[in-house]
Amino acid sequence: MARADGGVVLDSLWNRRAVLVSGKGGVGKTTLSAAMAVAAARSGRPVLLAELSPDEGGPSTLAALVGAKEAGAKVVPVRPNLSFVRLAASEGHRQFLEETLPVKWLADAALRSRALRRFLEAGPALKEMGLLYQMLTLVRRAHPDGRPMYPLAVVDLPATGHALALATLPRSVLSLMPGGPIGRAVREGLDLLQDPTRTGVVLTSLPEPLPVSETLSMARELKDVGLPLSAVLLNRLPEDPFTPESRAALDRLLETHGPHRGQRALERLERAREARKRLAEDTSVPQWGLPELALTGMALVERLAELLLPTLEEAAHAGGREATP
Amino acid sequence: MNLDGMLRDKRVIVLCGAGGVGKTTTAAALGVAAARAGRHVLVLTIDPARRLAEAMGLKENGPEPTTVPLERLYADGPVGEGRLDVWMLEPRIVFERMVRKLSATESAARAILDHRLYRFLSELVAGVQEYAAAEALDGFLAEGHYDLILLDTPPSRHALDFLEAPGRLARFLDERVVSLFGPDSGRTGRLWQGAQALVGKVLDGIFGGGFAQEMRTFVGAFGGLFAGIRLHTERLREHLTSKDAAFLLVTSPEAAAMREATFFRDALQARGLPFAGYVLNRSWAREDGLAPAANLKPHANNSTDTDAVLALEHLAGVEDARAKAHRSLLDRLAEGLPLGALAIAAPDAGADLEDFRGLVHLGDALTVA
Repeated sequence: MARADGGVVLDSLWNRRAVLVSGKGGVGKTTLSAAMAVAAARSGRPVLLAELSPDEGGPSTLAALVGAKEAGAKVVPVRPNLSFVRLAASEGHRQFLEETLPVKWLADAALRSRALRRFLEAGPALKEMGLLYQMLTLVRRAHPDGRPMYPLAVVDLPATGHALALATLPRSVLSLMPGGPIGRAVREGLDLLQDPTRTGVVLTSLPEPLPVSETLSMARELKDVGLPLSAVLLNRLPEDPFTPESRAALDRLLETHGPHRGQRALERLERAREARKRLAEDTSVPQWGLPELALTGMALVERLAELLLPTLEEAAHAGGREATP
Repeated sequence: MNLDGMLRDKRVIVLCGAGGVGKTTTAAALGVAAARAGRHVLVLTIDPARRLAEAMGLKENGPEPTTVPLERLYADGPVGEGRLDVWMLEPRIVFERMVRKLSATESAARAILDHRLYRFLSELVAGVQEYAAAEALDGFLAEGHYDLILLDTPPSRHALDFLEAPGRLARFLDERVVSLFGPDSGRTGRLWQGAQALVGKVLDGIFGGGFAQEMRTFVGAFGGLFAGIRLHTERLREHLTSKDAAFLLVTSPEAAAMREATFFRDALQARGLPFAGYVLNRSWAREDGLAPAANLKPHANNSTDTDAVLALEHLAGVEDARAKAHRSLLDRLAEGLPLGALAIAAPDAGADLEDFRGLVHLGDALTVA
């Protein structure tokens, strides 16, 4: 496969402010987030690759995949057009307190209170609120001339709790503490997330029955909470060496002579075909496929980015918005 | 020891691993195998996915475990002694029961359960779900009704936190937070009142007026349960560190899943919990014993047939390489295992696990390995 098949134009996606990458564990979500950010950066867009990790202290797989030297709450440049940040709830809380409390000494006092910091850390909703707030702050950050500093943020969401936790957050926070400034801040975050011109969600999956079932149920839930799904990215598509004719011939041969080796690969191919069909039937968004490659780590990210790039350049050349698979 | 022996001897088996590796299915298949071997088994899952329930023919989450119908469990032969119950753990139910059990009086329990913030407990306090699992497991073990309990943990690095959840609850309500929101201490010093007024001002500024006061009454009501919670966890920890318990790590061949398995193995070791081995799911490590694809060549009648056989040979080559990689993965897992621990490959069940028979086959395949 010479390029990401599907021929879908990523252009419109790259013109959003935030691309949220979601998916269950084990589908290669983090690798695909890295590859998308690298592809967008190579096509000339300034990209902020952001990680929203539940373990803020642990090692960052995503940082390693793009070669970022540091993984912290401070944005670090990685290569031309690509920066990296690991969103941190504590950083969001700090920014929030500084902007919310009427006078500076009150904010300082609040930040010095270990009890308050601990309270903000301990509650999941409050923690996610901090993460969302930092993301919002970065998206809003602008150059002196008003141009956004990070016009495109690619956000790798955690495997569990995914995008939905962010989207349901305002609801839980609002019912928990209606009327407070926290409510206002998360509402602003929700406005960004739910705006299909500014935000797009990419669901990553594998061409197998269970991952696809999960992707479809995630797609339904996204709809329920008003998050705009932009595309489904299928990873590790098995190679298909058949033409329709040779496949029919093989089925005849196997029917007469029983199963032979290669049976499992054949079944896997069939599952992949079925998975793509189900996705196409049950969602209206574009589906991209990336082949299974015998690479790992950074080499895999670079290769996948290369496969994603031609569709980008084609898009720029044709000036088109969308193509069909 | 093999898996068969483990299912016969242990009282509790905990399955850990990354999401999407087939933990729930493995727990169910092992439960089926143990029940069919004559034990009274409970499969306890906190994974919100409903697939297990569907495979078991269970419709909805109930307040109690549901028994798998005997005609289903023993569909292919005479009815045996074993029984299989399944429960999709409902944290809300477990938690409410715990509050009632640990509260000194009914009105003390009501003060918590009727509080507006109780509804938001799981949003306010990390680890509530994990703690509910611990509480439920402890309850079933203490009750002694089952020979074997299989616990399917949630797909997160925090899965083992269920042993520490009371610690996390306690941290949330630790002295400093309690002092922030805690009930009035009756202290009247000028300085103290001044400090409290400042704290109140900050909190109202952040959370909006009224919230701090609400937190105060809630924290006050909840604080009384801690002694009881700690007692239950200590009892559970004793169970889980004993030789009656086993922790199985479920993984798939993907690098990310393997990393999680390593993480869990270290986490078990650090907590002194009995690591019993690996189950490698979704792998092609097992031989399928089929004839080579090239054997079809003599049967090819035309060029399309020949193309078809060549394409199959190519796929078989890909399959072989993959199978070889999975076998060496299994060998790597088997290296350096502690005495008595095992590393087994489950057959790649593909899409066959939609019904109960699939679970029976998988259970059989796992236990004869």
